[in-house]
Amino acid sequence: MAADVKPFIGSKASPHQESEAEELRQEHLMLDPMPRNEMNQMVMEAMTTTTRKWWAWVIGLGLAVAVLLVGAWGYMIATGMGVAGIRRPVYWGVFIVTFVFWIGISHAGTFVSAILRVFKAEYRRPFTRAAELMTTFGLAAGAIYPLIHLGRVWVFYWMIPYPNARWLWPNFRSPLVWDFFAITTYLLSSTIYLFLPLIPDMAMARDRSTGWRHFIYKLLALGWRGTEAEWFRLRKAISIFAYAIIPVMFSVHTIVSWDFAVGMVSGWQSSIFGPYFIIGAILSGVSAVVTILYILRSTMKNMDYFIRKEHFDALGKLILVFSMAWAYFFFNEYILAWYGGDAALKQVLTLHATGPSAWVWYTMLICNVAIPWLFLWNKKVRRTPWLMFIITLLVNVGMYAERYTIIPLTLGHQRSPFDWGIYNPTIVEVSIALGTLCLFIFLYLIASRIIPLVPVWEVQEGQMSHTLRKIGKTEIPSVTELE
Amino acid sequence: MTELLAKTAQDEKWGMVIDLDICSGCQACVTACSMENNIPFVGEDEMAYGRGMQWMRIRRYWEGEYPEVTPNHQPMLCQQCGSAPCEPVCPVFATLHSEVEKINLQVYNRCIGTRYCANNCPYHARTFNWFDYEIPAPMNSYFNPDVTVRRRGVMEKCTFCVQRIVKGRQQASADGREMEDGDVTPACAQACPTDAITFGNLTDPESRVSKMVRSDRAYKELENLGTEPRVTYLKGGKSYGG
Amino acid sequence: METNVRMILFKEDQVDQASEAIETLHHHGISDNDISVISGVPFSEKILGRPMSWTRVPQIAVAGALFGFIISMLLNFLVPNLYKLSVGGMPLTPIPTSIVVTFELTMLGLLISTFLGVFIEMLSPSFGPKGYHPKIGDGYIGILFNCPTYADEDTCFELQDLGAEIVDVEEIKQP
Repeated sequence: MAADVKPFIGSKASPHQESEAEELRQEHLMLDPMPRNEMNQMVMEAMTTTTRKWWAWVIGLGLAVAVLLVGAWGYMIATGMGVAGIRRPVYWGVFIVTFVFWIGISHAGTFVSAILRVFKAEYRRPFTRAAELMTTFGLAAGAIYPLIHLGRVWVFYWMIPYPNARWLWPNFRSPLVWDFFAITTYLLSSTIYLFLPLIPDMAMARDRSTGWRHFIYKLLALGWRGTEAEWFRLRKAISIFAYAIIPVMFSVHTIVSWDFAVGMVSGWQSSIFGPYFIIGAILSGVSAVVTILYILRSTMKNMDYFIRKEHFDALGKLILVFSMAWAYFFFNEYILAWYGGDAALKQVLTLHATGPSAWVWYTMLICNVAIPWLFLWNKKVRRTPWLMFIITLLVNVGMYAERYTIIPLTLGHQRSPFDWGIYNPTIVEVSIALGTLCLFIFLYLIASRIIPLVPVWEVQEGQMSHTLRKIGKTEIPSVTELE
Repeated sequence: MTELLAKTAQDEKWGMVIDLDICSGCQACVTACSMENNIPFVGEDEMAYGRGMQWMRIRRYWEGEYPEVTPNHQPMLCQQCGSAPCEPVCPVFATLHSEVEKINLQVYNRCIGTRYCANNCPYHARTFNWFDYEIPAPMNSYFNPDVTVRRRGVMEKCTFCVQRIVKGRQQASADGREMEDGDVTPACAQACPTDAITFGNLTDPESRVSKMVRSDRAYKELENLGTEPRVTYLKGGKSYGG
Repeated sequence: METNVRMILFKEDQVDQASEAIETLHHHGISDNDISVISGVPFSEKILGRPMSWTRVPQIAVAGALFGFIISMLLNFLVPNLYKLSVGGMPLTPIPTSIVVTFELTMLGLLISTFLGVFIEMLSPSFGPKGYHPKIGDGYIGILFNCPTYADEDTCFELQDLGAEIVDVEEIKQP
């Protein structure tokens, strides 16, 4: 154990074995330890550096949010829902599609920091916090949509259970009320789960900063000293969270899928919607993590030490696996409808594949299935960050197309041909959707300069537990279970 | 209050029968319904985009090849389902099942406009107020005082002219008698020139509605979905649907 | 007997020496209650030969889950009976739909109370010598102990032999 990585214990290394060790060092972050104070310095530097480009982006995005989101939404509130493109029979459109999209993206953080933690996947260590931030801001962007799509948003609080003089409570049998509970639970738990492992890093930042930063970090560090009791409690709490937040994550997207599945809409009444949406969310989320990691690595200082090709490689493999799982669930739904569905259901499938918006369906299949299956099996592709960036962006485009297929296209083609309708999104809807994307990036940019993006204590913990062990004629990385 | 009503009123279960053999598709019912219930005009463009607000609509299908093309009319309105799929999904209880009339109620001042109910209705019977519609003068002085005017953001749908049902009940109670068949006529039934629409109390086995429901030609729209609609159609004309 | 609060620091990779140092302190009669170990990465107490810390966070978590469960039962089964509104073909308080709200509120109770437990336990007073040094954030292992003045010098020499860095008394401040 210990932070040094001597290839042997005792004997002298031969030149061949030393270069192998060197390769392992460059490849794996866990085998390439640096003194902790240097890592702290790197992370603090990445956090406190705000270039002109950064300020340009922040101001630009702030304006974009003000105009695209706040402006367009205010216009819609004042004028009426009619400025959106929704109509009979497609009463839910881009707003609900984007809502489901953001909730899907928010599964990224929980997957990385909870599931990978539970499975002891050591490569997760440098990017758990970056992924958790995605969850929090993805939920922040997504949770606005149940308000945006309301016809009378000024009385939205009637959905909240509170005692009132009329004894009127929300309808707990409605999936929308389940949505409210699920998203609130997930948002609060996610934020706390972001905060708990942040405390020791807040203490580190507190000791290395002055002025307003020092004030904030001192407040958030809760007087952390690093005593055994503090560590013991923190790790217990993190462990409880890691195990408990996984069922919460599954339940959130299942409940969102039940908004559709419990309905009498032909094409939505499918028992597979729960798992289908969850797998789609994880696919979407993990791809978004890779997208963000690429941007972080290219734009923030010192990030290329923490985020290496091995991470893109590992996440790329996961994306391929989840793309296959997604294809399995999609095909399940498809073949059942194609083979034995009633006339209305078969019509819906025909519309998806051959109707005027069939290009959406094909986009979905190409981006979610064809592209990952064609490229992600190749190790070279997985280890090329910019290629992974493009592939994962396309995967998320595909996932958006999936939700678009499921929601407006299916709603417009129900049991009575006289009532079929084509949905044309308007500029207001597109503007608000873009506005929430800008909000997400805006919040992320600001957060990246306020809290340290890499959990240095977890990285060091990992580095301390990794050594190279000589077995036979070679060194093999081995992990000690320090926990 | 509803308990009081339930004790004094007889058993009510309002239903409607529409005879498709004699429906001519003249849209008089549509017009009468719009006048009775203060339904706004949305304009030609909005209508073309499917934003029409009519609570009753005539579904028209063309059959045959030119020049032997014939239309096939079916008036479609809220079926006032016994097991309505629109009711459980409303998060704020804006749509309920009426205990007394046994029809589906829409509570305008509780609706927050999530439009889940509209998605869940297999008959697409519900409409939404997309804007605050301006009714052009002098139509804005022709409002029915018994029916509220809805603002933007609220769902609405056919109510079986519940204002006329309540008036009928109150009239009967004032006269000191039970309600009889023919006391309550919704606007669509009143306006229909061929008397294709019959309305009445299904719990009274002697009412015209109950007799027509027992006809050989009777069918209910999308019956296999289990919504238990209160509107029965009689096959005929070109409509042999089921 | 007069005691001073002393602090020694070990580099991040000197874990063996740190545990030796704690044993030395034990030999000098300084009990575990008078020793605090602070560090930048978590070390299990067994590694350093220390008694396990206590926490009530799991119990607080379960209590919170129970609280959430009770609230959800009230919302699902009591509240609809206050003003009975019937909806299409569904009983007033069906069990399948109640499961969703029950699950969510139970988990919310569990997770929020876990956090509050940690929060309260961190803010509540702790025993053992107080003190902190910024180098802890840089990965050092710090050992604070109440040293009786007569044994001060001996212990210091012994610890320095093991490789410890003795910290000046002025630098030992709360964070």
